[in-house]
Amino acid sequence: MKILYSWLKDFIELDLTPEELAKKLTDLGIEVASMETTGADFEGVHVAQIVKIEDHPNSDHLHLVTLDKGNGVTQRVVCGAPNVAIGQKVPLARVGARLGKIVLKPAVIRGVESEGMICSSDELGLTHTRAHGILVLDENLPLGTDVSTLYGKADTVFELEITSNRPDLLSHLGIARELGVLLNKPVKLPEIKDISGQGKSLEVDIQNAEGCARYIGRIIRSVKKVESPEWMKERLAAMGLNPKNALVDVTNYVMFELGNPLHAFDLREVEGGKIIVRNANPGEKFTVLGGRELELTENCLLIADGKKATALAGIMGGEDSGIKDDTTDIFLEAAYFNPPTINKTVKKFAISSDSSQRFERGTDIEGALLALRRASNLLVQICGGTASEINDVYPQKFENETVTFTPAEINAILGTNLPVEQLKDIFARLAKEFDASAPVWKFKAPTHRRDLNHKWDLAEEAARFAGYDNIPVSTTRAHVAFADNPKGVDLGKRFANALIGAGFCECKNIDFIGESDLKLFGVDPKFCIRVKNALAQGWDYLRPTLLPSLVKNVESNLRFGNSNLKLFETSKTFQNMKGFPVENYTVAGVLTGDVEEEESGLMEEISSFAQHSNPVDFYWLKGLMQTVLRGLDVTLVPSKNVPVYMHPKISMDILQGGKVIGVFGKLHPLTLKAFGIKINDVWAFEFFTKQLEKNYSARDFKPAAAIAVFPPSFRDLSVVLDDTVTYEQLTDTLDKTPLEVEFFYHVIDVYRGEHLPAGKKSLTFSLAFFKKDGTLKDKEVDAAFARIVEQLKTHVGAVLR
Amino acid sequence: MGIPPRLTRAEFTIIIYMTILEFKTACETLAQQYKTKISAATSATEVEELRVASLGRKGALTELLKNLKDFSIEDKKQAGPLGNALKAELTAVLDEKAQFFATQEINEELNKVNLDLTLPGYPVACGHKHPLSVAQDRMTDILARLGFEWAEGPWVEDEKHNFDLLNVPLHHPARDAQDTFFVDTKAPLVLRSHTSNVQSRYMEKHKPPLRIMAPGRVFRNDSLDATHSPVFHQIEGLYVDKNVSLADLKSDLTAFMKGLFGDKAEIRFRPSFFPFTEPSVEVDVKCVFCQGKGCNVCKQNGWIEMLGAGVVHPNVLKNCGIDPNEFSGYAFGMGVERLAMMMLNIKDIRAFYENDVRLLKQF
Repeated sequence: MKILYSWLKDFIELDLTPEELAKKLTDLGIEVASMETTGADFEGVHVAQIVKIEDHPNSDHLHLVTLDKGNGVTQRVVCGAPNVAIGQKVPLARVGARLGKIVLKPAVIRGVESEGMICSSDELGLTHTRAHGILVLDENLPLGTDVSTLYGKADTVFELEITSNRPDLLSHLGIARELGVLLNKPVKLPEIKDISGQGKSLEVDIQNAEGCARYIGRIIRSVKKVESPEWMKERLAAMGLNPKNALVDVTNYVMFELGNPLHAFDLREVEGGKIIVRNANPGEKFTVLGGRELELTENCLLIADGKKATALAGIMGGEDSGIKDDTTDIFLEAAYFNPPTINKTVKKFAISSDSSQRFERGTDIEGALLALRRASNLLVQICGGTASEINDVYPQKFENETVTFTPAEINAILGTNLPVEQLKDIFARLAKEFDASAPVWKFKAPTHRRDLNHKWDLAEEAARFAGYDNIPVSTTRAHVAFADNPKGVDLGKRFANALIGAGFCECKNIDFIGESDLKLFGVDPKFCIRVKNALAQGWDYLRPTLLPSLVKNVESNLRFGNSNLKLFETSKTFQNMKGFPVENYTVAGVLTGDVEEEESGLMEEISSFAQHSNPVDFYWLKGLMQTVLRGLDVTLVPSKNVPVYMHPKISMDILQGGKVIGVFGKLHPLTLKAFGIKINDVWAFEFFTKQLEKNYSARDFKPAAAIAVFPPSFRDLSVVLDDTVTYEQLTDTLDKTPLEVEFFYHVIDVYRGEHLPAGKKSLTFSLAFFKKDGTLKDKEVDAAFARIVEQLKTHVGAVLR
Repeated sequence: MGIPPRLTRAEFTIIIYMTILEFKTACETLAQQYKTKISAATSATEVEELRVASLGRKGALTELLKNLKDFSIEDKKQAGPLGNALKAELTAVLDEKAQFFATQEINEELNKVNLDLTLPGYPVACGHKHPLSVAQDRMTDILARLGFEWAEGPWVEDEKHNFDLLNVPLHHPARDAQDTFFVDTKAPLVLRSHTSNVQSRYMEKHKPPLRIMAPGRVFRNDSLDATHSPVFHQIEGLYVDKNVSLADLKSDLTAFMKGLFGDKAEIRFRPSFFPFTEPSVEVDVKCVFCQGKGCNVCKQNGWIEMLGAGVVHPNVLKNCGIDPNEFSGYAFGMGVERLAMMMLNIKDIRAFYENDVRLLKQF
């Protein structure tokens, strides 16, 4: 909201610079968004007429210009402007004139004395265009006119941001009151002459007392529709309003001044001599100013006459009821409308006005009468006419509740030690009805402050007016409970750390997804949570999987030439279970390119001059999954139902407690193509952590297992077997072989081809035999080895190579 | 010790027995002589030759020690240790010289290596935390040290916990579809518009004293542009106990900012308004880039707006089943993006959600 410094000074004496005032407002919690200086900030500049132009003896572009200042007095100045011409009326600044902060001194320019200066608009501070040449004024202006009177006085416009709890600050009076409390200065209201009303006003029938707690009206007859006086036009223009005519301007002026919106009806349009404040009938149509037709509902509050609606209460007048060119009699309305009532209609029709903005936040119900009287005063003064009596329908006088509190309570809330006298002083300035005679103080807020309802509100007032800098900083006083982090958070961090350790970059994506992406990932939208007011198409659902976003991240990174990518995200995914939302912490990753990546985009730091290409493959991904999920009791099995986005032959499920909690494998080339990815080797994994959370505790530590103290004996084992036998079938046999000694194994080679019959393969294992209680003898190792060979032959038909 | 040689007239020889004094002098001379030779040695082989010549079986020291047999018991007691000391001394000098040549030899070998150390290193896979995680982890670490417990709430939330219990009036604009996302579920639900839903959830279930932080994602119906994102991250703080005041808030936030920006960090309160706190404050931090003198980051203001906070509104406590006359509390909520943008010099909020590895790999 805009505030003019000069207007503010109508209400309160202020000797602060605009900057000082801005600081005070900021400290009070009124944010100053901007400050702008307007009007003429100069003195001693008068209208003069050019009567003679001579060349400067010592210059080829300067002139000696003689001007008539009026009454036949002339003056000669040196002027370099290209646009001087005889007969022009121009602003002449005499020696001693003030232009902004500059005071004009006598000057000798190239040997000729200049007795003043002809000003450009920039020099007068009226424009900032660096326009060349002098300002040429209206030729009808009388000589000697003070030029500053043509532009209005210098002023500062503050653009303020008012928090929603302080509608009382949406006026000059409101800001003045606030400053009055701060500076301990009286606030003077505008002078209002009592107009003794002639004749009755309109009858008023409030049918919805909750929606309209007060309705005040007055007729003013035989008004002239004149232009507003200059001072009013200037102020309205500075507020950003186009002045129209006095009948309209006055209502706006008073609203900006006092904060209460007013409305002027053409009396001819109020039929039946009666104002009815009622709710709309269902389906009732109403055309507001500007021609928009609204189809109203029962919640909409209307101002109507016996026959029709004339205004959407507090928001906007009807197309027909407003002031017209031939309006002579008006009906002036001031009221208090219930904020939620106005707000609902404003929201429903996305319709808003300066008036509705005030009503929906809450106006001063007592101030309404003052505003009406102030407006009728101004109207009669400017437009003439005779005012009727005032009809004030105000069935239930509004009063704020009395707050009882002690100064100690105020200090306890703030953690301060403000002296009792200071607190007393602040509250006395805030409210007339303040009683500090007893230990328990009583405070009743004035009607314009409906936000002061309890001691916490009053504590804030005390802090604001005493200054927030008075709140002390002491030591931290914490109650400390040793609680674990939520399991999902802990697990998420655990997985993030493991993945970062494996070279992954963490991503964060927006949680929305569209129907087409859901389809590509085989998800039926009915199992997803739909956002009713989605920002954009493609952002209609909460994502049930993190993979589509990550695949998009891969696509955009590839586009920018980043080719070795290991991306992951940990976040929540969402499902719709028969209308109920389910949130799951989820871990997902997508990867392509080399295991040991080149640092794309950071080439100057690390290059790959000797890098051996080592692309990610299935077994790397599987190893990653085994590492990341180690110790969490999961098993990895070939996918039973391969998801549509996965390679039909390269996809594994992650199982925990018999439940599928995730999947990993190679992405389907068609999925990649659908996302605009032109390469085929892109891998992905995703798993939910909910099932893992069940068995997880931050304080569960596995006891350490003893490590063998005697060195093992190593043997290599190479067997040939049918290609159809899986590794798992073979190791099942290995695992089950009963032995006197213990052993570990790992596969070191898988071979097919030359030297082997078709349909056969060879597997080579490295075996490590050991005993817990002593060194192995060769004989024992030989026996164990032989037993293994025999078992493999029996169970999977493997023969020693 | 042998029998002294039998003297015959015909072979009369004068045997000059060494005195102990002469023995001492001989030892010193021998030591001096060999030390000089050893120090002048030019190779490991030479050192070993000198070792044999001095300490070997037929070496100079062995020869000298042969004189001992003719000494009296007293003299032997003196001479024995002298001989041993001489041996130890020479051994040490020889070893040192031998070590010197051994080291020299190794170093000569090493110096033959010709590796261009200025070539770049091989790539080693190393992952990167997202910049928002970097910022959030830093903040939650500090809060954890200040005794805040990590609490959580749903992201798809009912209006009761997102608005009602938090004293947000029914007609408050935050409840508009223009501000908040509404979802199509059986019960009317929203995407939480702030992490404050964790306040109401936690207070419903726990009695004071309680001290929690709630980091997480929040959703607002704002189009994505340089300074807005429909999804962003907040960290909520809440402390409820007996006699918690605005001064406690200032103290704890000062401690927090010191953790974040260093010991010189300063904060100031400006009055503000939020439905869930009363009094409400905006918290500014003295610009860490110019120490309050005014710079581009703080827009010449000297202070940077960091977060909103205040004393928990009595209605919020009451709504959550806590007696506001017995307990009081403070709450604060800050944006992770805002802080990360400032700390990491990221100018456009969209950069956080584009996941370009050229940015991600910087953190």
